[in-house]
Amino acid sequence: MKRQVRIQNLGGARATILHRPHPTVQALTRQLVAIGLVVDQVWPELGPEALAADFIFFDADMGYDGQFPWAAGAAPMPMIALIGSEAPGRIEWSLQIGAHAQLLKPIGDNGTYSALLIARDGFDRQRALGAEIADLRRRLEERQTVVRAVAMLAAMGKTEAEAYAQLRQMAMAWRISFEDAALRVVARFATEAGDDQRSRG
Amino acid sequence: MKRRIEIGLLYSRNSSYSLISEACRSGALAAMAEVNADPGLDISFAAVERDPGGNADMYGPLCEDILRETSARHVVGCVTSWSRKEVIPSLEKLGGTLWYALPYEGFEASDHVVYTHACPNQHLLPLLDWALPAHGRRAYLTGSNYIWGWEINRLARATIAAAGGEVLGERYLPIGAVDVGRIIAEIRATKPDFVLNSLVGASSYEFLRAYHALGLTDAHFRADRCPVLSCNLTECEFPPLGEAAEGLISAGPYFRGCAGWPGAGSFGSAHEAASYAAVRELARLLAHRPGAENLPLAQLLAGAGGPVDPGTHHTSLPVIIAQVRGGAFRVIQQRGVVAGDPFLSRSGVAGAQPLRVVS
Repeated sequence: MKRQVRIQNLGGARATILHRPHPTVQALTRQLVAIGLVVDQVWPELGPEALAADFIFFDADMGYDGQFPWAAGAAPMPMIALIGSEAPGRIEWSLQIGAHAQLLKPIGDNGTYSALLIARDGFDRQRALGAEIADLRRRLEERQTVVRAVAMLAAMGKTEAEAYAQLRQMAMAWRISFEDAALRVVARFATEAGDDQRSRG
Repeated sequence: MKRRIEIGLLYSRNSSYSLISEACRSGALAAMAEVNADPGLDISFAAVERDPGGNADMYGPLCEDILRETSARHVVGCVTSWSRKEVIPSLEKLGGTLWYALPYEGFEASDHVVYTHACPNQHLLPLLDWALPAHGRRAYLTGSNYIWGWEINRLARATIAAAGGEVLGERYLPIGAVDVGRIIAEIRATKPDFVLNSLVGASSYEFLRAYHALGLTDAHFRADRCPVLSCNLTECEFPPLGEAAEGLISAGPYFRGCAGWPGAGSFGSAHEAASYAAVRELARLLAHRPGAENLPLAQLLAGAGGPVDPGTHHTSLPVIIAQVRGGAFRVIQQRGVVAGDPFLSRSGVAGAQPLRVVS
């Protein structure tokens, strides 16, 4: 599949640079402002306003875990590492903390635009994959529910294959997942069983 | 006593796009002559010229040659975006500034380049904004096989798709290539509502002549039904086109005889006007500031006012859409003065949205 990068909505986006005052910050700010972003610089810790940022640029040389108000690798926005020393330990830390792209210091005249697009694309894909994995995991956990629902439908005089097909029809008609349809079926049987007991009582 | 300042000129006078080079060069030289003759200015300009002969690989070395072997820190030059990208590393290395006076594809704001002609929010986007309702949303795209054609067509594709239109075909030719038969055949087969032509120089002339001939045999391919649009066609390329120029539609900041160009002067084409404006602005920035010719661009522009945006190094320009009628451009639409927005961060373009996974 040809991947299309989201290009045209960087205007007005907010970038926070987590770096001590330094020519690196000036050069990066110039590029970001030319691209149309709003920029602020903080050091040594990201405050609560960092949550409103669309991009975080962080210093890979002097950075440490406590600077970020979220767990390592769980940033709610794309993160770009500003790498001076290419020491393996620092690169490893940048990856742990969740870099989606990097810029090498000294920052010159270019590189920022591609770093923004690559970081955002990586972040978007990571988030989409995360959502997909969570969904698949949930569906795996519902295997038992599916088995119970098929058994309940089969108990009404159907073969197992027919019960399975009926459950699929229900999911399609209700426009929900197979597992959610199974949950509904199981819940309905449970309610009806309860009603039966009440009417009998 | 005037301060003598050397200025680099880097144009390919012998290339498949030499008409454009000559238009730019004459605009720059005219401005230099005016500066030199003006007793109110304490500076005079001396041109140091290098000619890359249309070879993209020669631009970097020759720009470096100017910056090393002469006192020039400012170079006026380059026609293709390919050549501009080739000289930027030399400018960075040696602290020079390029004044670039051609329409280009945007998405650049170099510390070492001033852009005095239009970028897409000043040419392509207004052109499509006019063309899609006026002519239809089925387009054929063609261009020269380098970044100008690629990026203009990428933006055109996104804009046309966002408007619910369709790109029927897209084909590129290497700079200088003239085998346009396949492009003509595809246009003939797909019968689009308009053609967007980002071919450069000789390829463009050959294509436009062949398309004109097609229009003579099939009325669908005449300017009233299926016009050819361009963001880079100006009067300087009329001579090789002759009759084939009739009906062509172009977007630009200046057309001969049209009102709106900032500052004085009457020019043969927008390329000439933008090169002239570059040299005049450089003179304004350097006059009465001894030593300013050696300042880095950021310091030269700081607090100086003037047309160059200190953040992006782009300029505000009139946006005019015009059509060739009777051998001259006639205005179709005047869209006022628009600031250059190279990254389209303020222009509110509808970009193509990526497909989302739904489960």
